Amino acid sequence: MMPHTLSQLYHRFNQLRGRRIFIVPTRFGFAYAGFLILILLGAINYSSSLGHVLCFLLGSLGLVAMLHTYRNLAKIELHHAFSEHVFCGEKIHFTVLFDNQSHHDSYQLNVASKQVLTPTFNPFRLFKGYRHHYLIPMLKAQLTTTVSITLASERRGRQPLGRIRIASQFPLGLYTTWSYFNTSAYALVYPKPLGGLPLPSANDNGQQSNHHKQTGVDDFSGFDIYRSGDPIHAIAWKAMARDDVMRTKQFTSYQGGNVMLSWQDVAQLRDTEARLSQLCRWILHAEAAGMNYGLSLATTAINYGQGEQHRHRCLSALALYE
Amino acid sequence: MNSTVPTKNALLWLMLGLSLAALPHFSYQPMWVFVIFASMLGWRCMAIWHAWHLPSKQHRRMQWLHHSIAVLATVLLLTSYGNLIGRDAGVALLTVMLGLKVVEIRSSRDYYLSCFLGYFLVVTNFFYSQSIPNATLMFIVVTILTTCLISLNDAKQALNSRSQFKLASQMLLQAIPLMLLLFVLFPRISGPLWGLPTDAHSATTGIDNNMTLGKISQLIQSNEIAFRVKFNGQQPAQSELYWRGPVLWHSDGVTWTELDNETKSATLPNILNLGTTYNYTATLEAHNARWLFALDFPNALPLGIKAHFTQDGQLLSDDPLRQRQQYELSAHTQYRFNEDNNSYLADALQLPNNQHPRTQQLAQKWLQQTQLPLELVQLALTHFNQQDFYYTLSPPQLSGDTIDTFLFESRRGFCEHYAASFTILMRAAGVPTRIVTGYQGGEINPVDDFLVIRQRDAHAWTEVWVKGQGWIRIDPTAAVAKHRIDQGMNTIMPLNMRSPLMLSNSRQLAELWQTLRNNWDALDNSWNQWILAYGPELQKEFLSKLGMPSPNWQQMVIWLSVSLSIILLLISSLIFYQRKRLAPVIFLYQKFCNKFAVNRKASEGPIDFADRVKQLYPNNSAEIDRINKLYINLHYGNKSVSIDDLKQAIKTFKPPRI
Repeated sequence: MMPHTLSQLYHRFNQLRGRRIFIVPTRFGFAYAGFLILILLGAINYSSSLGHVLCFLLGSLGLVAMLHTYRNLAKIELHHAFSEHVFCGEKIHFTVLFDNQSHHDSYQLNVASKQVLTPTFNPFRLFKGYRHHYLIPMLKAQLTTTVSITLASERRGRQPLGRIRIASQFPLGLYTTWSYFNTSAYALVYPKPLGGLPLPSANDNGQQSNHHKQTGVDDFSGFDIYRSGDPIHAIAWKAMARDDVMRTKQFTSYQGGNVMLSWQDVAQLRDTEARLSQLCRWILHAEAAGMNYGLSLATTAINYGQGEQHRHRCLSALALYE
Repeated sequence: MNSTVPTKNALLWLMLGLSLAALPHFSYQPMWVFVIFASMLGWRCMAIWHAWHLPSKQHRRMQWLHHSIAVLATVLLLTSYGNLIGRDAGVALLTVMLGLKVVEIRSSRDYYLSCFLGYFLVVTNFFYSQSIPNATLMFIVVTILTTCLISLNDAKQALNSRSQFKLASQMLLQAIPLMLLLFVLFPRISGPLWGLPTDAHSATTGIDNNMTLGKISQLIQSNEIAFRVKFNGQQPAQSELYWRGPVLWHSDGVTWTELDNETKSATLPNILNLGTTYNYTATLEAHNARWLFALDFPNALPLGIKAHFTQDGQLLSDDPLRQRQQYELSAHTQYRFNEDNNSYLADALQLPNNQHPRTQQLAQKWLQQTQLPLELVQLALTHFNQQDFYYTLSPPQLSGDTIDTFLFESRRGFCEHYAASFTILMRAAGVPTRIVTGYQGGEINPVDDFLVIRQRDAHAWTEVWVKGQGWIRIDPTAAVAKHRIDQGMNTIMPLNMRSPLMLSNSRQLAELWQTLRNNWDALDNSWNQWILAYGPELQKEFLSKLGMPSPNWQQMVIWLSVSLSIILLLISSLIFYQRKRLAPVIFLYQKFCNKFAVNRKASEGPIDFADRVKQLYPNNSAEIDRINKLYINLHYGNKSVSIDDLKQAIKTFKPPRI
C-alpha cells in the first residue's frame, strides 16, 4: 500500500513540476572552480584576508550565475510548430514559435533539433547527438519569436519534427541548462514528381453534364460570397475594403477535360515508389492544365475535382499510400 | 557550441580588465614588464582597429615575432629575478604571460583562460597591498572581468556594453550576502601551508636592529603608521610615552648593535612596578622582525601573541611579524629595572678601541670634578643644554670620527646623535650606559580615539645603571629640545613636511586637511581591525560572541550550510520574482476604469465599456469619449498622440459619485 501512495505522490509532483530543466557545469565551470581553489590556497598561504574575500565573492558569483542561467530558460515554452508540405527531396522548413512567459528577457537560446542516436560518453559533449543548431540572441519578456528549422525530406509520408532541445549558457558560460520539447508537428512529404509516361487521355463524354461550372485558375468570371475553405489568394481584398463583405474571385476554366488517374495506368512501372511518383507528376500536370482529375488507388478513390485543395487531397493520398 | 571567436567588444573589455588588474604591479616591477604588456595589448588593439596581422599559421612572420618576444621575456625574467618561483618573479611571469596570451586569443577557450588568469592576477595584488583604495580598484576589476564573461556569451550583442556591465554589477551585488556569510563562517586555516618564497615579505621602513648616525633622521620623512594604540581608561602624559624597541650595546665607532641572541635571552629582567597601571591594545604593522613595541615598562607578557622578555627589557615575539598583529598589554610608566645587580655591566662599558679621543678627554675632565654617576649625567646634560647644541631634523653628514666631529664641530644633530655621544661620554666616565631605540609620543586621532604612532615618531634615548636604582632612563634629546618630548613630533616638524595643504598657510585649509586625514585614518584602522585581521583567532572570538558555544570547524560547517541555504533561497526568490510590468498605456487606462462605480467586464472592449458608462454618466460623455479615443489611438499604434495627453486627461477626469 505504501509504495503505491508514494508512486502516486511522485506522479503528482512530476505533473506539478512540468517540463524538466537540466543544468550542469560546463568544462569552463569546472575550470572556474579549479581557479577558485587556487585563489583560496594562495589566500591561505599568504594569510591574505582580501584574498579570502575575493575567493568567496567569486564562489558566490558562481552560485548566483547558476540561478541566472536557470532563469534564462525556465519560462521559455514552445508555442507551436508547423511546416508547409513539400515534395520528397525538397527541404522542409519548420516554423517553430517560442514564447517567453516570464517577466525577464532571455538571451542566447540555442535551439537544436534532429536527434541522431549516437550515444556519447563524453560529459562535455552532451549535445553531440543534436544537429541543426539555431540561435535566438534575445527573446524579450512576454514576447514570442520564431525559429525556422530546416530538415531534409528523405522519404515520402509524414516527417515529424521530433524532439526539440533548447539550451543556454548565458550569462557567464559556467553552466549549461537545457530542456526538451516533444512536438507532434510533422510535415507531409509528397512523392517526388517523376516519370515519363504520358497523361492518360481525357474522357470528355458522359460526365460533362455533371458539372455546370468548373472553377479553376484561369479567367475571372465574377465574385462569390466567401465560404470557409476557399483559397486565401482568391479573396477579393480590395472589394472587401469597400464594404466589409468577404468575397472570393471566381475563375472559370474552359479548357481541359476529365481524367481519372488510376493504379492500372502505372501498373507497368517497376515498383510502388515509381508508380506514386508518376501519379504525382500527372496530378501536377492535370492541375496546371486546368483539367478535372480524379484518383483511384487500391485503398482510396477521389472523385473528379480541381484546385489547390483538391490537389492536396490527391497528393496526400499518394504520400500516405501504404 | 563554444568555438565562436570572441567579439571585438569582448576583447576590449578583457584588455581593460587586465590592464587595471596589472596596474598596481607596474610600480614595483621592472620597466620592461610594463613595456611588453603594453605593446602586446597595443598590438591587439591595432589588429582590431587597423587590421594588423596577428600571429597565426597564415602569418608565420608574426608568429615568429611573437615567439621571440616570449623567449626574450623569459630571459629578462631570469636575469632580473634569478628564478621563476618567488612571489615577485611569479607575478611578473603572470603579467607578461597574460600580455602575450591576449595577442593569440582565437577561441572562447583562450578567452576563458585569460579571464580566469585575470581573476588570479587580482588576488596577487592582495599579496602586496590590502589597502582600501587597492581593494576598491580590484572590485572594479572583478566587475569588468565578469562583464567579459557576459560579453563572450552574448556574441550577437543583444545587450549593449552598458547593459552588460550593469548585469555584471547586479550579479556581483546579489553575490555579496553569500560572500559575507562565507567570509564570517568559512572555517579559516592559519597559513602558510607551505614555505613562503623568500621575497614574500617586502622590505619595510622602520626601526632596525642597528643604528648609525643619520639613520633615524631618515625615518622622519615617512608618514607611514608604525602602530596604533587604544588605551582602556587612563592615558599617560605625552612625555611618558616611550615605546621600547631594540636595545643597543655594542659600538664599533660607527654602528651600534644589539647583544647576541644567547646573551640577550639568558636571564629575565627584574622589574619592580610603581604607580598607575595603564591598559592598552596595540595593533602593530608588519615589520618582518620580532620586536613588539611596548610602553615602558610592561608588567606582564602580552595577551593575543606569543612573546618573551629579554634581559635588557625588549619584548620579542616568538615569530617574526609577517603581518599586522594585535596584542594587549598593561604597563607602569614608573618602575625599577634590575636595581640590585646586573651581570652584563661590562657590555654597558664597552668602548671602541682607539676612537673618539676628544670625547674621552672631555669625560676624563668631568671625572676630576665628580665620581658620582648621577652628577656625571647631570654634567653631560648641562653641557648639551648650555653649549650651542641644536636639535635639527636634517643634520649635516658627518665624516671621520663621527662622535668627535658632532660633539666638537657640527653640534647639530637628531636624537641618535645625542644618544650615541652621551653614551660614549658616560662609558668613558665609567657609567654603564646603553641606547634604547623605539618611538616616542604619538598623535591621538579624535575620530576614533586611537593613538597613532608613525615612523616619524622614531626615537633613540639612553639608560644608565646606578647601583640601588637600576637602569634609569635619560633622554639627552630632552636637554636640547624639550618640546620634542613634551608635545610630540608634530610641533617641531617644518610646515612643509606636515601636509601639502600646510604650504598654503591657510588655517582653515590646514584644519580641513587634518580632519580629512583623521577620518581616513580611522576608516583605515577599522578596516584593519575588522576585515584584514579576520583570521582563525578573531573568527573564534567573533563566533563565540555570536553565540556559537565552542567554535570548531564542524560547527562552522553546519552553521554555514544552514545560513547559506536560507540566503540562497532569499536570493533565488529575488531573482525569480516576477514583477508585473503592464504597459504604461494599459496601466493608465485601468486607472481610468477604476474611477467609475461599475467595473469593466473581461469581455468588454473599450468602446463597449465607454458606451455603457456614458449612459451612467451622461454629463461626462464628451470627456469619456476623448480619453477613450486617446487610449485606442495609443494602444493600437497611432503614434501621433502623446501619452502625456492621456495622462493629463485621466488625471483631471473626475466623474461624480453615484
